[in-house]
Amino acid sequence: MTPGQVLLFAVGGLANAAYLFIVAAGLSLVFGALRVINMAHGSLYMIAAFVTVVIGNQLGAGLGFWGGMLVAVAVAGAIGGVVEVLVLRRVYGREHLVQLLGTYAVSLIIAGAVRIVFGANYRTIVSPIPGHLDLGGYSYASYSLFMIAAAIAIGCAVWAMLYRTSLGRNIRAAVADPDLLNATGVNVTRLYTTVFMIGAALAGLGGSIVAPSQAVGSSIDTDVLVLAFAISVIGGLGSIVGSAVGALIVGMVISFGLVIPATNPFALAFVFIIMTAVLIVRPRGLFGLPES
Amino acid sequence: MIRRLPRSRGDRVRWGVVLVLFLFVALIPPLAGLNENLNPDASSRFQIFLGTSALVLALWAISYNLMLGYTGMVSFAHAAYYGVGAYTVALIFKRYHLPILLGLAAAPFAAAAVGVVTGLVAQRAVRLYFSLLTLAISQLLFSLAFTWYDFTGGDNGISVTVPDQLSDYTTLYYFTAAVVGLCLLLMFLLVRSPFGAALLSIRENRQRAAAIGINVKVYELAIYTVASLFAGMAGGLFMLYQQQAYPEMLYWTANAQPVVVSLLGGTGTFLGPAVGAFIYVVLDNAVSKQFPYQFDIILGAIVLGVVLAVPGGISDAPTVFLRLRERFHRGEKAEVAPAESAGEAIRMFDVRKALATDAIQAEEVHPGQTLLQIDHLSRRFGGLRAVEDVSLEVKQGDRHAIIGPNGAGKSTLFNLITGQLKPTSGTVKFGGREITGKAPHVIARTGIGRAFQITTIFPKLTVRQNLQFAMLAHAGYTVRPFGFANRIFYAEAQELAEAVGLGAWADLPAGQLSHGDQRAIEIAISLALGSKLVLLDEPTAGMSAYETDKAMELVRRLATERHLTLLFCEHDMSVVFSTARTVTVMHQGRVLTEGTPEQVRHNPDVQKVYLGELEQEELGA
Repeated sequence: MTPGQVLLFAVGGLANAAYLFIVAAGLSLVFGALRVINMAHGSLYMIAAFVTVVIGNQLGAGLGFWGGMLVAVAVAGAIGGVVEVLVLRRVYGREHLVQLLGTYAVSLIIAGAVRIVFGANYRTIVSPIPGHLDLGGYSYASYSLFMIAAAIAIGCAVWAMLYRTSLGRNIRAAVADPDLLNATGVNVTRLYTTVFMIGAALAGLGGSIVAPSQAVGSSIDTDVLVLAFAISVIGGLGSIVGSAVGALIVGMVISFGLVIPATNPFALAFVFIIMTAVLIVRPRGLFGLPES
Repeated sequence: MIRRLPRSRGDRVRWGVVLVLFLFVALIPPLAGLNENLNPDASSRFQIFLGTSALVLALWAISYNLMLGYTGMVSFAHAAYYGVGAYTVALIFKRYHLPILLGLAAAPFAAAAVGVVTGLVAQRAVRLYFSLLTLAISQLLFSLAFTWYDFTGGDNGISVTVPDQLSDYTTLYYFTAAVVGLCLLLMFLLVRSPFGAALLSIRENRQRAAAIGINVKVYELAIYTVASLFAGMAGGLFMLYQQQAYPEMLYWTANAQPVVVSLLGGTGTFLGPAVGAFIYVVLDNAVSKQFPYQFDIILGAIVLGVVLAVPGGISDAPTVFLRLRERFHRGEKAEVAPAESAGEAIRMFDVRKALATDAIQAEEVHPGQTLLQIDHLSRRFGGLRAVEDVSLEVKQGDRHAIIGPNGAGKSTLFNLITGQLKPTSGTVKFGGREITGKAPHVIARTGIGRAFQITTIFPKLTVRQNLQFAMLAHAGYTVRPFGFANRIFYAEAQELAEAVGLGAWADLPAGQLSHGDQRAIEIAISLALGSKLVLLDEPTAGMSAYETDKAMELVRRLATERHLTLLFCEHDMSVVFSTARTVTVMHQGRVLTEGTPEQVRHNPDVQKVYLGELEQEELGA
């Protein structure tokens, strides 16, 4: 493999890592604050991808995409809010299997609804940032570079939200001791709704941002969910830094696994081998919080 | 030891359901034929085919429920074992040209082999992380089936034409029914056995299960393997009637089917998932042909309904049922009402017995040899020295109290003794045998019982079962996959329940009793384990003064009658000074002093430590 090829696949890996990080950060944020694994996280991603494609194409190429993205993120956040109020509030503090099954039920309902509304066909949208960058004989899609930049920006924004705002301070306090936080006059119930909506919006942002680079179909919910799980487990549930590291590992493995002949058919298997290995050595992932 | 119990109405209802199910299964082919005669559009072949698929689904779902309902484990890898079973049959028949029934016989064992190896890996984590590990395992096996073209046929899977004898729908149906029936019988015997009792106790309370001497991990791995064995059988049968095996069978989302079916029929009953399987197949056939997407929504709504409507989790379903039945039966035996006010049970125990106890208590207890010896025990949490160089001896027959302000390290010391925590340094010897750093279930088996600070019992099991299961674990019977757990030690458990004043409530779920009574159960569990040393972590925390008196009276009486050694920590000084023969005072992780209650009471250092906390109490009294 030439250095040029390595760079090509590294950038491909970074682009994978970019959208996966955005999705996994949402999953991890929700787990950190609410101690709930959201099985419907991939469904919110899928809804947003469909909304982006449909509205984006409706509004016209280029600018239409950005309009679609705005609506998509808002829709994902809003659905997240509804799910939190109607379902999650009733399962906090229950056995984790109840939470898994509750959010799993939501994912089934959303999957059915998406297929009714958007149909079973794959849909696509043209990239809002066309063109490519030529370097060393290989060309790099400008949109991939945009995704990487966007993921870095979103990562910084989430970090700043957690560590530089009063909302973030409350979220971190809720992770440590929700009862005490409640006693200091913070409405923890509403805080949980907010956190869940932010998580849902991140899932939506991930789905929206990935739409121009992948075909959008009605099975992308479980595909992305299982990768987001792998990332969260490798990086550690509840840690944003962990999500970034996990996304990098998974993104690179997928990118390079597809080209290195020896591992070719086993690219995805490789992700799960790493996931298993990490869990065996460090049961809470590289940067994980303990399970309460 | 084993006693035949009278059949209750609940049993009769249950056997009635089994009979109806049996007849229904037996009559499907003739009924389908009849239906075809009356209604030429209905194909009997198709309906028998649906019946076969429901039977296979029932077996698969019940095998899943061995984990979900009986042990409380959520696995995402169960579909993979089902897939392994199907592939085994296909490969043996098609690739190696061996008889297809040989393949079917091999399927469960192939699945179990994969199950035990992957289960060992998944076992590295518990609960949520266990579920996520099974997800990774499932996807690994799926990738293998999907990409290993030469062996598994890749994404096409393997198609098989079954031999003529089995291609007749009715024959295949009855064959499947016979195999499924046999598997269900085996699983039923298993869950009712002492082994099944161990599983139930793990589902109810992992910590308590370990504290009665059950090796939680081993039992979980065992049931995980057994579940994968039966899933492999189901997968093999699937192969026979579908005549194909394909990689999607192994994909993690395929686990939705047994989960939904189990929830639909009820995870709390053995045959619930079987009922769920028939409902599912009928529903699937009626709805998903015309409205495939609506079917997902209906399934989602069902799961959501079950999850939200049954409080305390889906494993609570049996309690809801019991509670309803209890309400139904209360009219008949009005004299057996649950203990409504705190400590009622204790209040009601025989007054003469209590008086006799006082007489015994008046005799001096002569402490014997050293039973528990702790040498230079330390435990640090990062920079915090929770327990620092503690040495302590507990004499046989003594009632030894450990006191000290909050944060003195009392609970940490208890956790070090019973194995919940491993010491940083130092040793613990019990009866001359070193037990330092051993697992809780091992220590429990050497004869140290424990009542935890937060009451730790099996809340959904009856009072009697709480004690019976402890006795089973103590006798080492929980390895037995045969016999009826509820009939073993029945009388012994009843007797013990009566001894702690809970005889009248032996049939109630332990969690329904008052706080004081639950503590009594916890102490009784220690007795059921034949513990020589009983550790009580704040036995009277949260009790009223009256309850406290009665509870400690019970403790003293039991200790005297059964020659127990007590080690307890307590904040209530009246309890300490009325019960203890020896008192150790701890402060900031160290032993401050030790002596008789009288010596400790007048020790100026102790007064200093407790100043403020004890001033108003009876320090000077």
